[in-house]
Amino acid sequence: MTEFRNEILLELRRSHERDRLVAALAELDAAPPVAVPVIVGGETRLDPTLASVDPGDPDRIVAAATVAEEHEVSSAVTAAAAAARGWGETSAVERAAVLSRAAGELRDRRYELAALAVRECAKPWAEADADICEAIDFLEYYAIEAVRLDAGRELIQLPGERNSISYRPRGVVAVIAPWNFPFAIATGMTAAGLATGNAVCLKPAEQSPGCALAVVEALRRAGIPEGAIALLPGEGEVGAALAAEPGVHTIAFTGSGAVGLEILRAAALPGPGQDHLKRVVAEMGGKNCIIVDADADLDDVVPAVLHSAFGFAGQKCSAASRVLAHERIAAHLQDRLRGALDTLLVGQAADFGVDVPPLIEPSAQARVERMVAEAAAAGANVERVEDVPDRGYFSAPTILADVDPDSPVIREEIFGPVVTVETVSDVGAGCDLVERQAHALTGGLFSRNPRTIAAVSRRTPVGNLYVNRGITGAMVGRQPFGGNRLSGTGAKAGGPDYLLHFVEPVVVTENTVRHGLAP
Amino acid sequence: MLDTFVKGDVGLPGAELEPEVRDLGRKLGRSASSSRGAKHAAYDRAMTLVAGNEELRAALFRLVDVAPACANPAELAEHLAAYLDGVEAGGLPLILGLRAAGSPRLHTATGRGAAAAVRQMAGRFIVGETIPEAVPTLREFWTQEVATTVDLLGEATVTRAEGQAYADRCDRALVDLAEAARSWPARPLLEADSAGPLPRVNLSVKVTALTPLVRPEAPERGREDARHHLLRLLRRADEVGAHLHVDMESMDSRELILDLVLDLLDRPEFADGPSVGLVLQAYLRDSEEILDRILERAAGSGRRLPLSVRVVKGAYWDHEKIEAAQNGWTPPVWTEKVETDRCFERICRRLVDAFPLVRPAFASHNLRSVAFAATYARQAGLATGDIEIQVLRGLGDELQEAIAGAGFRCRTYCPVGDMVSGMAYLVRRLLENTSNASFLASQAAGSDLDELLRRP
Ligand SMILES: Cc1cc2nc3c(=O)[nH]c(=O)nc-3n(C[C@H](O)[C@H](O)[C@H](O)COP(=O)(O)OP(=O)(O)OC[C@H]3O[C@@H](n4cnc5c(N)ncnc54)[C@H](O)[C@@H]3O)c2cc1C
Repeated sequence: MTEFRNEILLELRRSHERDRLVAALAELDAAPPVAVPVIVGGETRLDPTLASVDPGDPDRIVAAATVAEEHEVSSAVTAAAAAARGWGETSAVERAAVLSRAAGELRDRRYELAALAVRECAKPWAEADADICEAIDFLEYYAIEAVRLDAGRELIQLPGERNSISYRPRGVVAVIAPWNFPFAIATGMTAAGLATGNAVCLKPAEQSPGCALAVVEALRRAGIPEGAIALLPGEGEVGAALAAEPGVHTIAFTGSGAVGLEILRAAALPGPGQDHLKRVVAEMGGKNCIIVDADADLDDVVPAVLHSAFGFAGQKCSAASRVLAHERIAAHLQDRLRGALDTLLVGQAADFGVDVPPLIEPSAQARVERMVAEAAAAGANVERVEDVPDRGYFSAPTILADVDPDSPVIREEIFGPVVTVETVSDVGAGCDLVERQAHALTGGLFSRNPRTIAAVSRRTPVGNLYVNRGITGAMVGRQPFGGNRLSGTGAKAGGPDYLLHFVEPVVVTENTVRHGLAP
Repeated sequence: MLDTFVKGDVGLPGAELEPEVRDLGRKLGRSASSSRGAKHAAYDRAMTLVAGNEELRAALFRLVDVAPACANPAELAEHLAAYLDGVEAGGLPLILGLRAAGSPRLHTATGRGAAAAVRQMAGRFIVGETIPEAVPTLREFWTQEVATTVDLLGEATVTRAEGQAYADRCDRALVDLAEAARSWPARPLLEADSAGPLPRVNLSVKVTALTPLVRPEAPERGREDARHHLLRLLRRADEVGAHLHVDMESMDSRELILDLVLDLLDRPEFADGPSVGLVLQAYLRDSEEILDRILERAAGSGRRLPLSVRVVKGAYWDHEKIEAAQNGWTPPVWTEKVETDRCFERICRRLVDAFPLVRPAFASHNLRSVAFAATYARQAGLATGDIEIQVLRGLGDELQEAIAGAGFRCRTYCPVGDMVSGMAYLVRRLLENTSNASFLASQAAGSDLDELLRRP
């Protein structure tokens, strides 16, 4: 079996790579908006009514999607169930080959697709490229892992008894994907389902149907059978209808906590005619803290905090939201962070070097502005970048200090370019604050004492703890990613255990003794 | 005698230089080791010891790194104990002793000792906390026929105010050094070459300390932000008659720095000054293409002063390797030491050949590299004073004396700054000095000199 290697990021410090991306963007801009159909059982229906626009220039329509109708959702699941039988019977190796080909399809289009993510989701170039690489990684990684899983696992064997465990596809996977990693997350959840022999119905975010179409196209071109992959664009109702379908076996969801909990609740009881339990793999929000010890090197802390909190305008579930600084260095750290705030470039995602692009949509902008205004009204100390472009859904990067501990900006996920700085008496007190949170997705620690690092690693409830570095940017195979507590169901995307959520384990025990003869 | 070797050596092009390179290398080596006083014996032993023990090396360097962030000796001792947790003692009394000393009872005493040791080590590489503190050393060097370049150490620049503060410090340093240097005695070798006069005051600056906006994918951001600072320093250098040397750093800032400096030098106001220098890193695979660019721009610019070019091997080798490995990129650096050494020599030749369009400066502690550069220059017909050999304070102290003693112009790179800001620099130097590939480490470990002088 081939070894997994992460897809190589573009070396954007080389100007020829940047030139290629600029050319790809010009080509994209010259083309008409991407027309996104509903795809069910290999049939496409095109009647685009739902526009996704460039968040930095809302007049620019990037893609227009056909909204899936209720009967299409049902027939997609029916067709998927039928297709799943054949697909599930192909060997894991064959399926892996198809996924690997799909990875190749994405690889061939990576410049063009990076440009699409820049326009459709306002992802800055480096992040757009990383998103495509991660999508490719998921396809290649799960392909390899599914073959490994197909071989079963070792069980204890005694004389006269043969035990084996194998993993079968469950049937139909409903994938409900977010817009913030428009390629990676949609591809990852879909690839996990397909690699393990399930059929997949993908409901992409309404903000990024254009990117989702590219994923589905890659899979179809690579040879996923018709029916085994459906594309169901639309808004929340389409996702809810899909999740409610009795024929769905597994729901893979990444998105907000409210929607995730609703999916979990609705999935708990079998619907009419449903003869299985639905499984839910849910990745929900975070409220991620970086603890900074007194011995930390602030030269490293400042850039890491800035990047973790403000990169892609804080629209990552892994983004840093609270800095918990040891009292000895808190004032100095805060000074340097505030001083560094105006080094962030707020601007269009297409401009190289932009740190903070616009938010995805007006409601996000309004939410962030409201939370900051409320914190300010309640007496928080607010440091913001002064001027941001007025065209596009921009929100100014903001550092809040002296915030009331019960304030929403301390307790709720913001999903925008806002970070709070709090002083703690020591690392232990920082851990106490982290422990009190309902969310437990990512966390950070800056310390140069190995014993402190060991102690915090033992104590932390978070799914992914990053030590002496930024807290975003998990890599497939290197940092399996996912949260605990209310942040998620604990499945680790891009890790060796993820596929187990998509399969039914079957154990066969055979008595091999016959008249005292045990082979 | 040299001639008898020439014919006999293998027919590789350039092989005729080898006998003279060897002779000069031996001569410098002998004179350097004779000046190697007992004062460094303990340090040398320690370095040799840690060079043989990766874990101990890591533990001690982590200690140096964290020292300025510790509030008191007990805290430093706590860190020391933690760093030694995983170190295989292997019966080494040093580690066992340190570990025992790291016990809570002895914390404060151990911490004090460690802090003193770190300070002492820092003192070897850093000539003073401030310019006034450094001036007596600079003057002493000058008197002993050794020129200097001053480097102001600083923390990383993450805010515009920090960039401004660094620019202000550089500006002040140019003024203060010019003032101080006025009373230095005449030293003809240090003050002119056949292309013209050389400033007494020489300041090395780091562009990444001038701007917090270094973005590898957007070099124009940092370039535009640093421009006004560098412009101001160039004007000041011109005004006080100082030389400004722009250091090179990691690949992430190379395009920014190169474009910025070459652009500024095209301004008509700098046609007659100040004296300016750039750095070329031979460990980069594409360093010769960069040299092409520098030579082309130097030839096309309206400047009447030669551009100084300091060729170095490159100080960020591990960083470049790790960054490339983590991103899956082909490393921008050579991966075999010998490739770097060869590239260094190719660049030396080309710089010598380009004199007086550029002024060549060879910065290395490697006797082979230095001897090669000087020999090639002599055989190419350059006067001794037309080249410069540069060393780092603390690493090249003995070599400095040997070079000056042999009649070459030696320039010593003298960092100035406090402990906190100096620590990153110090750790880099220590790592370099104890890395297996390093010439100094091989020399300290007792490798045969002739072996070390062999053509790479
Ligand atoms: C005056 C002065 C100024 C300097 N200014 C700068 C500067 O502006 N920018 C900068 O980057 N450096 C600078 N340096 C540092 C310099 O780059 C070297 O790191 C240092 O001098 C050690 O090189 P050496 O020739 O003395 O020793 P050597 O032992 O001969 O060479 C060591 C060097 O070889 C290279 N190397 C090590 N292992 C490998 C390998 N496996 N494959 C390929 N190459 C390898 C590395 O560059 C390493 O530093 C300066 C040095 C001096 C003396």
